[in-house]
Amino acid sequence: MSLRRESESKLRAFGAKVRGFLRGRRRDSEFDEEIQEHLQLLAERFVAQGMSREEAAAAARRRFGNTTLLQEGRRELQTLPAIESLWQDLRFAVRVLRKSPAFTAVAILTLALGIGANTAIFSFIDALLLRSIPVKDSGQLVVFNWSAHHQPDLHGHSGYGDCADQAGIGDCSFSLPFFKTVRAQSNSFSGLAAFAGPLDVDLSGNGAASMVRGLYVSGDFFSTLGVNTFIGRPLALSDDSPSAPPVIVLNHAYWVRAFGAAPSAVGRTVRLDSITATIVGVADPNFTNLTPGKRLDFFMPFSLADTVRGEWWRNQDRLSDPANWWVVLLGRLKPGVSIGQAQAATATIFRNEMLHGAPPFFKSEDAPALTLLPAQAGLNGETSQIAPALYVTMIIVAFILLIACANVAGLTLARSATRQKEMAVRLGLGAGRARIVRQLLTESVLLSLVGGALGVLLAVWGIDAIFQLVSNSPGTPFVTNVAPDWRVLAFTIAITFVTGILFGLAPALRGSRIDLTPSLKESASSLPGTAAHTGRGFRLGDALVVAQVALSIVVLIGAGLLVRTLHNLHSINPGFDPHNILLFGIDPNLAGYTDQQTQQLYANLQQRFASLPGVESVSYSEDALLDGGWSAGSVHIDGAPPKQYANTGQLSVGLNFFSTMRIPMLAGRNFTSADFAAAAATNAAEKTRDAAAAKAEPSPPTSAPASPTALDEAYYHSAPVPVLVNESFAKKFLANQNPIGLHMSDAPRGDAEVSNPGPGYTIIGVVGDTKYAQLRRKTAPIMFLPLVSNEAHFELRAAASPTALVKNVREIVSQAGDNLPLTDVRTQTEQIDQILFQERLMARLSSFFGALALVLACIGLYGLLSYEVARRTREVGIRMALGAPGRDLLRMVVGQGILLVLIGAAIGITTALGVTRFISSMLYGLHANDPVTFAAVALLLTLVALAACYVPARRAMKMDPVVALRYE
Amino acid sequence: MDSKKSEVLQGTLDLMILKTLHALGPLHGFGIARRIEQVSRDVLQLNEGTVYTSLLRLQQQGWITAEWGASENNRKAKFYSITKRGEKQLEFETENWERISGVIGRVLRLEAEKES
Repeated sequence: MSLRRESESKLRAFGAKVRGFLRGRRRDSEFDEEIQEHLQLLAERFVAQGMSREEAAAAARRRFGNTTLLQEGRRELQTLPAIESLWQDLRFAVRVLRKSPAFTAVAILTLALGIGANTAIFSFIDALLLRSIPVKDSGQLVVFNWSAHHQPDLHGHSGYGDCADQAGIGDCSFSLPFFKTVRAQSNSFSGLAAFAGPLDVDLSGNGAASMVRGLYVSGDFFSTLGVNTFIGRPLALSDDSPSAPPVIVLNHAYWVRAFGAAPSAVGRTVRLDSITATIVGVADPNFTNLTPGKRLDFFMPFSLADTVRGEWWRNQDRLSDPANWWVVLLGRLKPGVSIGQAQAATATIFRNEMLHGAPPFFKSEDAPALTLLPAQAGLNGETSQIAPALYVTMIIVAFILLIACANVAGLTLARSATRQKEMAVRLGLGAGRARIVRQLLTESVLLSLVGGALGVLLAVWGIDAIFQLVSNSPGTPFVTNVAPDWRVLAFTIAITFVTGILFGLAPALRGSRIDLTPSLKESASSLPGTAAHTGRGFRLGDALVVAQVALSIVVLIGAGLLVRTLHNLHSINPGFDPHNILLFGIDPNLAGYTDQQTQQLYANLQQRFASLPGVESVSYSEDALLDGGWSAGSVHIDGAPPKQYANTGQLSVGLNFFSTMRIPMLAGRNFTSADFAAAAATNAAEKTRDAAAAKAEPSPPTSAPASPTALDEAYYHSAPVPVLVNESFAKKFLANQNPIGLHMSDAPRGDAEVSNPGPGYTIIGVVGDTKYAQLRRKTAPIMFLPLVSNEAHFELRAAASPTALVKNVREIVSQAGDNLPLTDVRTQTEQIDQILFQERLMARLSSFFGALALVLACIGLYGLLSYEVARRTREVGIRMALGAPGRDLLRMVVGQGILLVLIGAAIGITTALGVTRFISSMLYGLHANDPVTFAAVALLLTLVALAACYVPARRAMKMDPVVALRYE
Repeated sequence: MDSKKSEVLQGTLDLMILKTLHALGPLHGFGIARRIEQVSRDVLQLNEGTVYTSLLRLQQQGWITAEWGASENNRKAKFYSITKRGEKQLEFETENWERISGVIGRVLRLEAEKES
């Protein structure tokens, strides 16, 4: 009973305190009024009893008691003293900090840099790796993954970078028939959807033709994800039917970009490759993409996959062939169904289909297995590549923050030594130690709050700068929404407070633990003899400088390694001259050109480009060199033992390719027009044969090949395709032979015993080695074929910078054909920069942060030494007065600094030796413990540190002894 | 000060004020002080300021309420009156006080008997 009463009454008292706190000053004056009234009434009574006015007033005050104490008591009752005193602390902290603006500015700037860098990098990590998929209840979404001991025999198998590479065999691609089977048989999901892509599609009918990225989705994609449309309707199950009219839904960002956010876009028709489709809706702006980092412009139903096709699909049946694995399955778990239960149920369906379906893809010893992953973890294909780089950068900026903390702690410590007298006075007047620590912590947290606020501004700017760096390279996997959200905010607030406490605690504890008597004496701390009680502080200050130097050495060495890696990659000789080359892609297939038309177009374009002023020579190839794409195949060289195949890179090129790229001819002859005609004839024969075979047997043949038809014979007897090989090919496969005139044939497909009976290839020449897809890869054998079909990347060699040519090029291409979009217009050097994108990003970020670390460490060192010089002013004065030469003094100050730097450098280098191996996979052409980098960084740091020591040392030398002795 | 005067026991002032307001209805601080002075017949030594601390405490507990009004000589004054909850508290405290003073009285008498 009384317990309840008591707690009730405490609660009421607290409520009154809060109310009182909020009402504050008004209460004060009201209360005052009441007291004055009371005093007056008392006095009047005393006057009535016969006292004089003065006596009465005094008597009234006596009777009433101490009014100040009463007010204080009232405040204690009516307000929250903790908050009141916090407010006092804050105001005091502001006054103190404003009194030393230099210290405050340096500290705030240092903290802002540290906090800003962390916030910026964390924003990227958050946006790319942590943020959940932007759909309703994303925790309920699961992605299907399969694995097995053996690759299944498939007609087609593609992935679009939705899932990270698995360690073994398996991924997240399935066939559409399997998707339908799961949908029919499983009851674990409230929705099951499939998607694939995005694919580059030629879109026209809305201004100039352009390449856009379209994602194939099943009709229940939007309903399963719970994504609505901004305007119009989403795709529905009825759109999946092959007879349904072609419709698409635009991504919001694309709608804004390409249609100027015009609502009238819904209902319009556009041409996709060669068909006409109606825009029926625009997706919700919050839904950008499922797999973070992938750009996509619109959604189309799978029913369009027959007409809007990837060019390399040829005549594959993507929709009903169970041996074509290319779609990602996404399920929404029914409420109450766990991921484990759903996995058990669907794994049974999968095993059944794979082992006993028609056709079976696995034997039971292959152990085919199906796992369900939460969509957030499962759809990490793009980001899994950038994740290591981001985490390394995060560690670097964490180091920066530590350096910043050590720096400000050092400065605060030096300052707290000069504030000893103030602390002693406060302690002497009866302040509790906790109160003093609280006051000092308030100051440091205030500093870090201001620093944090400034840091957020810096972060916004930094995110923008990194974005600029990133978006200058087209085609990089980075298009995503990097905007601070609650997680970033929480992170920043957390690191701000932790920072404030981290750098404030040590000096605060030390500041409050002082011996009163000597501190109160005027000049105690300026006499070297009595500095004993501050000894611990200086060792702490020294330690902080050592820590800063060590941390910045580690960051600098990391940066040095990454910069040297980029330099190494840039100085690789690619085997061709990459300067002054303009590159762009054209895909006539998408615009409906036949092979013959394609060849005519290429020849025509080549001629017209070549006649442009400033163009030296023009060629084209299926892939541009060093654009990351490549193809390869196996051939059998006549005369080699049976079943011994040469695996070689293959690249189809146009006329004058080698002279345009300045790849040297080593033997034999170059391609001529006659070679292209021969290759075109052979290609045509092969295609006619394939088309006839596909017509005769709609589902791709899995049985033994039938006896050759007349078309087969025509193909087999067409001329061998003339090819050139590179030096590596000749060295590796044709060691002691004259390569010119050698014949090769395609390796048989699958396990067939017989060699491929096609016409094969004849080597007509040998050219110098070049890099093909990547700079990092070793130079490998390449076989160059005449390009007679397919897309092409043109190479224009200009006399000077080729970017001025772009306008003319666009004109010529649009004159040649309406629906021909130019893709990937860039120079060859930009192309190389692009494939080195990650290396460049890491090199720039790490060197920026390395420089930052160096500057911070020097500020720390400079601050410590300046303080030291100031503290020893009198000592220096005495020494100078007694005739000590300036050089001795210089040596004294600089020597201390250098000693600290050397200790820090030693610790830093030892640490770096241990940790750089974690980035060794990012390095090229040097060891993780590269001695040159280590030595250069150590030298750089020592030189910069010397400069930081020299300035305060010079100040000490220039001191006038008389002034120095009078000091304090 | 006069040694015959006694300090007011902690907590008893609250009880006295509650009782006063209960008996006399709304009063301002000065009036309460006068009433206590009158009833105690100068036995209690009271810093009149403490009345206000007590009034605040009682207000915070919701046992009394305050209102600005005009005093007898038409000056602005704050009038305090007892609330329903205050009445209940007064009842409880009164019982409590009587019980405790009874116990203390018995103990003191017991001690006195022993001594004599």
